[in-house]
Amino acid sequence: MNTDFLPDWPFAVSYPLLFGALLLGGLLGGEAARLARLPRILGYVAVGFAIAPLARAANLDPLLDQARIFVDLALGLVLFDLGRRMDLQWMKRDWSLAAAGLAESLLAYFAVFACLLALDYSAVKAGIVASISMATSPAVVLLLVQDTRAEGQVTERALNLVALNSLLASILTTIMLTSAHLESRVEPEMAILHPAYLFAGSLLLGWLAASTARVCARAVGKTKELHFTLIAAVVVAAVGLAALLKLSVILALLAFGLFTRNDARNYDLLTVNLAPASRLLYIVLFVITGASLPPEALVSGGAVGLALAAARAAGKFAGVLAFGSLGGLRIRQSGGLALTLLPMSTLALMLHHAVARQYPAFAAEIGAAFLSMILVMEVVGPLAVQWGLRMAGETAPELSATGRHPARSDLAEEG
Amino acid sequence: MPLDFARSAPLSMGVELELMVLNTHDHNLVRGAPDLLARLEKVELQGEVKPEITESMIEVNSSVNHTYEELLAELVHVRDAIVVAAGRLNVEVAGGGSHPFHKWTERRIFPAERFQRVSALYGYLAKQFTVFGQHIHVGVESGDDAVYLTHHLAPLIPHFIALSASSPFSQGEDTSFETSRLHAVSAFPLSGQLPAVSTWEEFGRYFDEMKGYGIVASMKDFYWDIRPKPEYGTIEIRVCDTPLTVELAAQLAAYAQTLAAELLRNRRSVPVEPVYRVYNYNRFQASRFGFDGQLVDPFRSRHVRLREDILETLERLTPFAAELGTVKPLMSLAALAAREENDSRWLRACHEKTGSLPDVVRMQAQRWRTEPPPA
Repeated sequence: MNTDFLPDWPFAVSYPLLFGALLLGGLLGGEAARLARLPRILGYVAVGFAIAPLARAANLDPLLDQARIFVDLALGLVLFDLGRRMDLQWMKRDWSLAAAGLAESLLAYFAVFACLLALDYSAVKAGIVASISMATSPAVVLLLVQDTRAEGQVTERALNLVALNSLLASILTTIMLTSAHLESRVEPEMAILHPAYLFAGSLLLGWLAASTARVCARAVGKTKELHFTLIAAVVVAAVGLAALLKLSVILALLAFGLFTRNDARNYDLLTVNLAPASRLLYIVLFVITGASLPPEALVSGGAVGLALAAARAAGKFAGVLAFGSLGGLRIRQSGGLALTLLPMSTLALMLHHAVARQYPAFAAEIGAAFLSMILVMEVVGPLAVQWGLRMAGETAPELSATGRHPARSDLAEEG
Repeated sequence: MPLDFARSAPLSMGVELELMVLNTHDHNLVRGAPDLLARLEKVELQGEVKPEITESMIEVNSSVNHTYEELLAELVHVRDAIVVAAGRLNVEVAGGGSHPFHKWTERRIFPAERFQRVSALYGYLAKQFTVFGQHIHVGVESGDDAVYLTHHLAPLIPHFIALSASSPFSQGEDTSFETSRLHAVSAFPLSGQLPAVSTWEEFGRYFDEMKGYGIVASMKDFYWDIRPKPEYGTIEIRVCDTPLTVELAAQLAAYAQTLAAELLRNRRSVPVEPVYRVYNYNRFQASRFGFDGQLVDPFRSRHVRLREDILETLERLTPFAAELGTVKPLMSLAALAAREENDSRWLRACHEKTGSLPDVVRMQAQRWRTEPPPA
């Protein structure tokens, strides 16, 4: 009997099936976390942890590589959104903000670097880990800001500082790769050419994307719906181009957002809210991240990972607190701001993978310790952000049933 | 207990301006008032900057001024201080009677006991009340004068509506009204006008009766377009949208001051009931059509175009303006009326040009920041 009409065995998992399953699982996990009054992100990540063995069994290991396209798209949207929130004019008006950003990034860098040197790692590897550690997870911060409907100084400053430290981290990691190239004895021209190509190429791509978006915006009607589609299209295309040209998705998309915001002389492009659509991708992003973090790293690198996480946090706190009062923040606000800078997630993981691909010795020697730091911060980070925003008094009050109505009242002045 | 009417210098004046606090990326309202107010506390200002019912509003209260020039100088000074403070916090501040596209469900009530109580009593009305008005106070000698002026300024209320109108957009739509803000006021049960009493003593009896019923506790509970304010010894005009510039705000105050001077000198004896019979119709005409509104004049049984009524009134005030030093501001207002220009028209033109409401708000904030003083 001909059984061609039946599916092949074993099943080949297709992208739509994978995406749907991850999304559904993540959604349910997120709502379960919500019921427990935890950030939804923890639910997404927990689902990731849970499906990691399944993915291995279904021959999808590593899931991060299998589902790379979703991760790149999600990260692309996150970074574009973040770049758009970064305001260079503000940093010019209030230099203490830029100073706080530089201070927390550099102090986190040096704290992690010193910690690793003290543990007898080589300077090159310590430098790479330290530079990646500067970055705060943009996706965690953006998603928590949305979920808690946070608004105010700490929120705005947090988004700007996250953009700044992500930018610094990806630039510095690119430069650090040069020294890694030198250590692994690649031809010296490569060591200069490659980072130069990555850096200049990604910026140029970001600029091109912003110009394209602006030109197209002038051509289509000025409605939110049209501009939403336009932005989504250019983001996706830019992600694809960055991959095609072997450029940095992170740098290119951050630059795209930044150019859109800070070169807005003609205000052609509307600032549309990407949140509802990007959540689909965010959920998948966190599930995949959770599934890609090997829990066994905790066994071999847990202690070092904890030490690194502590050193990094100390650096970030010192940097933010040093300039907080100059920026007019109260101590509670400064503390809250420092807490929002703690998460590490996909961005660090992606940078780690990029380094590991070009520099296998790195992964072998320091990978476990580094991954366990990310693992710790993947769980602690969202809690820290939620706590920080709440401490600053910027989260929206939980929607409660209508309160008791006073029978009458001496009322307010109105306008 | 009789309601005490504080004495104040006749024809002194002051204004309250409610302003919107905006973010700089999509120009929506933002929860910026607490940080902005904390920063302004450190600045030496004549008047006061205070919180309002939602965390996206602030209110400027001027001090008591005697001349237009003084008031204008003070408002310019406060505005500049606010612009600097807002810049450091990366928020923007703007005039205008309504935010064109904010969603009222997103507003947060300022965490002060009084505001929370209003919110609990009025539910969604309190949040929908995220509108921005200018109140003008004019000092009077006695409660009787306050009652007299309140009644006789009532027919002129449409002038203030048309001249100050700056809320053509609401909740993302062009409302077709020159001011949409006044509807938010009308929804409250204690909006309306002063009853037809003729002395302060008579008003005191009315107030005691309402208080006895438990409807009001103080004068603040009456959301009238124009009302006596016994605590300050003033009458308070409350129909104006917050203008886009402090210059127009000062000009409107000067108009109120000059009108009061004329009404107190040339005392009227006409009955007030006919005015109130057509009051709501005239108020609607002004809010809907602005300078083009057709007012009913109940004493002469005729219609008159609002623009012409304003121009005639300003003409009549000329000698008083010379005495009070308000010639310049009144000429500016006459020029606006003659050209039929107000802030609503400017906002609509911005929308026409840019096709987007966030851009309108951006330009609105720019106008608040940079408008040079009138030459």
